[in-house]
Amino acid sequence: MLNVYLFQVLNGLGLGMIYFLISVGLTLIFGLLNFVNFAHGAFFLVGSYLCYTLVSLTGNFWLALVAGPLLVALLAWALERSLIQRIYHLPHTFQILVTLGIALIIQELSIMIWGPVGKSIPTPEALQGVVRIGNFAYPYYRLFLIGFSALVAVVLWLLLERTRFGALVRAGSESTEMVSLLGSNIFRLFSVTFALGVGLAGLAGVLSAPLRGAHPFIGPEVLGLAFVVVVIGGMGSFSGALVAGLIVGVVQSLMTSLWPQGASLMIYAAMAVVILLRPHGLFGRA
Amino acid sequence: MTVRKTPLLLSALALGLVAQPLLAQDQEPLTFYGVKSLSGAFASYGKYAEMGSRLAVEEARTSLGRDIDYVSLDTEGNAGRAIRKVQEAINQDGARLFNGATLSSTALAVGKEVAGVEGVFMTPAGADELTGTECNASTFRWSVPTYGAIRETLVPLMEALPEAKRFYTITPEYVFGEALLDNAKAVFEEAGVEHVGNSYHSLQEQEFSGYLTNAMAASPDVLVLLNFGAQSSNALRQARNFGLNDQMDILMVWSAGLDQFEELGAANVEGIYFGAQYWHEVDTPFNNELVAAVRDAYDITPTYPLAADYTMTRVMLEVADQSGASTGPALIEALEGYTYQGPTGEETIRASDHQVIKDYYLLQGKAQDEMDDDDDYADVISAGQSFVAPEDSPCQL
Repeated sequence: MLNVYLFQVLNGLGLGMIYFLISVGLTLIFGLLNFVNFAHGAFFLVGSYLCYTLVSLTGNFWLALVAGPLLVALLAWALERSLIQRIYHLPHTFQILVTLGIALIIQELSIMIWGPVGKSIPTPEALQGVVRIGNFAYPYYRLFLIGFSALVAVVLWLLLERTRFGALVRAGSESTEMVSLLGSNIFRLFSVTFALGVGLAGLAGVLSAPLRGAHPFIGPEVLGLAFVVVVIGGMGSFSGALVAGLIVGVVQSLMTSLWPQGASLMIYAAMAVVILLRPHGLFGRA
Repeated sequence: MTVRKTPLLLSALALGLVAQPLLAQDQEPLTFYGVKSLSGAFASYGKYAEMGSRLAVEEARTSLGRDIDYVSLDTEGNAGRAIRKVQEAINQDGARLFNGATLSSTALAVGKEVAGVEGVFMTPAGADELTGTECNASTFRWSVPTYGAIRETLVPLMEALPEAKRFYTITPEYVFGEALLDNAKAVFEEAGVEHVGNSYHSLQEQEFSGYLTNAMAASPDVLVLLNFGAQSSNALRQARNFGLNDQMDILMVWSAGLDQFEELGAANVEGIYFGAQYWHEVDTPFNNELVAAVRDAYDITPTYPLAADYTMTRVMLEVADQSGASTGPALIEALEGYTYQGPTGEETIRASDHQVIKDYYLLQGKAQDEMDDDDDYADVISAGQSFVAPEDSPCQL
């Protein structure tokens, strides 16, 4: 029985990396732009469907992995320039209303384009199969996801902490006027940041597609999960998203052995405990 | 006077004879209400159900030569909204003839509303209560409930796999899942096989890796999925991803049939056992006609929701026309015990609980290179009927 729990912890860590990937774009946009993006789940959905279309057309998952997030980021950039940019200065309630509207439009457009029935995307051939450990098996694809998510985490950290772009974005989140006075185009900076955050949602959608398929109603579920991770980790905290993703993954996975019917519930219980003990999340700033 | 009266009488008689069929055509239009989930999370089901009802109404207008109005009520996948719309239709338009409702909660609530005005409601929903503890005079159910779904899948599967002695179940924790699990446990006990474990999950769950890990730890011969819809699709996808299909056989007791197979794709369906209410390749006269009509009308192959709602609509309209009763106790009486040729062969509406007695299928997914056409996802392994005997049914009409 101990083996089951050990394996559930390992599985939870893998799940946690997927949850990190799902939520990191949301926390980036909130942390750097102070913008609440309720369309995050919808962009994940677009990523999943683009993966389906590209794999169906070309049979090449790796092409979808590159092109899917880029296309989602491009869509986000266009939306940011035409609409989102106009509401940065408005209270969060207005941002929620607008992005919720975008999410609904994307959901209905997806039904019109791809139909109401979900789609399956095959696991790339090179990553089919499992690693066997005693009675247990762990898919190569999930191992790849763990490694890839870790790589994304490192690249993002380097981008935000060790580059001029990262420094400008962080400075812009503190004072847009100061960055503008220093000669940087703050609006372009925000557009790129928004596209990056949303592109990460698209990337998560592409990578999750072989596990969960593409379905027009997947957006709200993903959004809910991403918010749980972001709230536990602290709104806007990059490391918070990573740690919280792992906590949520391990809690969920372990609970499926300890109290299966409460596994989903315990994610929210974990969030409630963190809010009670640290209202701004594990790594959030007051 | 007599001389003058005769031609008048003859003329009146002749006029009457000529007018009779015209009057028959001028009967009060029959208004039929389709309760369908046209938007929301169950829109994929409602879309096809609506196509089925509309096709049956269109055909009936011609075959019965009768004026039939069809009105869709969009449940939005929400029982509360469905009830409000049904109440409006009853109170404002005098609606009495309904069918549809995908979700059991919606079907149970609509059934009660319609019973309150002595209307007629026929549904494909799955909850045992519809023709069990919550049955009523107005509600009829086409689909096979959980008892039959379990018996017509597990028993033939055990016959096909005599070496399988250890079974593991994954169950959604609510009334429908519990009913499937209770029936499965009874079959395991009767067959003397071991139920080596069960994992419950919530209705919101979409990540099944943890539950599949529990299943792996129990080393079963057969993994039995007792969930349905998107949850069963995700559970199966992830089970294949974890390579469980190489370690054990997998049975999905309550599949949606063709549209779910299309969603999963042949690679996920291959080798898996599925329970199904309807399969388009079943060779019955009604089904062959239905497949041809649907291909002609919509250029698709009929799915389960399409076939279910088509059949229910057609049966209700036919009985209403034959009995001359368009609603109320007279139509209920005419439907009770009615036997007809349906998509699964001969089907009978049992008078004691208003359950349609029909076949349930055990299918097995084919490899992609064995498929004869794009929709030939599975072979029929067995077909049969299992229903709780009327004397054992909790239904008291």
